[in-house]
Amino acid sequence: MERVVLQNACKNFEEDLVLYYYGECDATEQRRVGEHLTLCGSCRGFVDDLRHWLPQIAQAEPMTPAFWDDYYRETVSKLEPRKEREPWWHSWFAPKPMWMVPAFGTVGVMLLVVGMLFGKGNLTSFMQRPTANIPQEVLADEDQLQFFESMDLLESLSRLEKQDDSNHEKTNPQSSRALGRQETV
Amino acid sequence: MADRQELRDEELASLCQQGERQCFEILVRRYMEKAFHIAFNFTRDAETAKDLSQEAFLRAFANIKQFDGRSTFYTWFYRIVVNLCLDHARRRNRVAWESLDGAGEESSEQKQWADSRFLPEEEAIAGEAKRRADQTLESMPNKQRTAFLLRNHQGLSIADIAKVMKTTEGTVRVYLHRAVAALRQSLMEFV
Repeated sequence: MERVVLQNACKNFEEDLVLYYYGECDATEQRRVGEHLTLCGSCRGFVDDLRHWLPQIAQAEPMTPAFWDDYYRETVSKLEPRKEREPWWHSWFAPKPMWMVPAFGTVGVMLLVVGMLFGKGNLTSFMQRPTANIPQEVLADEDQLQFFESMDLLESLSRLEKQDDSNHEKTNPQSSRALGRQETV
Repeated sequence: MADRQELRDEELASLCQQGERQCFEILVRRYMEKAFHIAFNFTRDAETAKDLSQEAFLRAFANIKQFDGRSTFYTWFYRIVVNLCLDHARRRNRVAWESLDGAGEESSEQKQWADSRFLPEEEAIAGEAKRRADQTLESMPNKQRTAFLLRNHQGLSIADIAKVMKTTEGTVRVYLHRAVAALRQSLMEFV
């Protein structure tokens, strides 16, 4: 069996010739390659080879019109259930036009301002808790809890004081010794 | 519906987004052949190509609201088709290029290959060359094959292929050149 004879191109033109064949060179390249092709027989042969065999590689056989009719009908019938299935809330997540962003922002800010202006007087009503309906046992427990919370606070304060004292001793040992003497006296 | 046929792809997609889902059927009509042929070039099996390309339409329809018009509709849609084909190829681990060729039986493609350029006694060589080229295409890295198929078979520009493959035009040029060089090499190598 013999070889298929293909023309070799000039090495520095090979990539450009492929792009030239596909019409992907810019005007300058096109001119440069065109001029070279008029002079170089092997590069001309290379492009002719591309023209000959590239369109034939792995091409699909043409389908009949009946195939395409079936294909279309089948695809559209597959699309039908999808058209019905889309839930109503999908529209909320759909991309919105750009003008809606500042519009929603402005409305949000206005609602916030209105809320702050008119809600200010009633703020205390949120702070006051209705205690009339709460059973006495629960209220007593609540007092105990508050007592324990205040105890925790006191413990924390005494710890802070101790920490302050130790820091003070480290930075000024003489004064702490004097303080000790005073205490013994 | 008839006047809608004249609309551009992007206008039809926009109408779809606004709820006129029938407009998508026009896009199906417009792109079914291209979608099928891309899938066929990847799979070499008509049934699989049909399933994959139809799945691409269903996905495009389901995600039509994500199409923001920054690219053309066809680059957006081609990306869906190509990604489905690549996923399919990965799942199967290899693409069955020869499934339609038939063992030992010369297909019409091979006959076409052996055209007037070749002398009758060289037909066997041409058939073998065709088989070689298909094998090379099969074993080619996915990116090179995608760039080659989109340019050579679908006629997409390098700029559009770059958008479909989410890469630069320079990279696509390199893929394309390497693919063509590999195919040429495979034709020259057999004795």
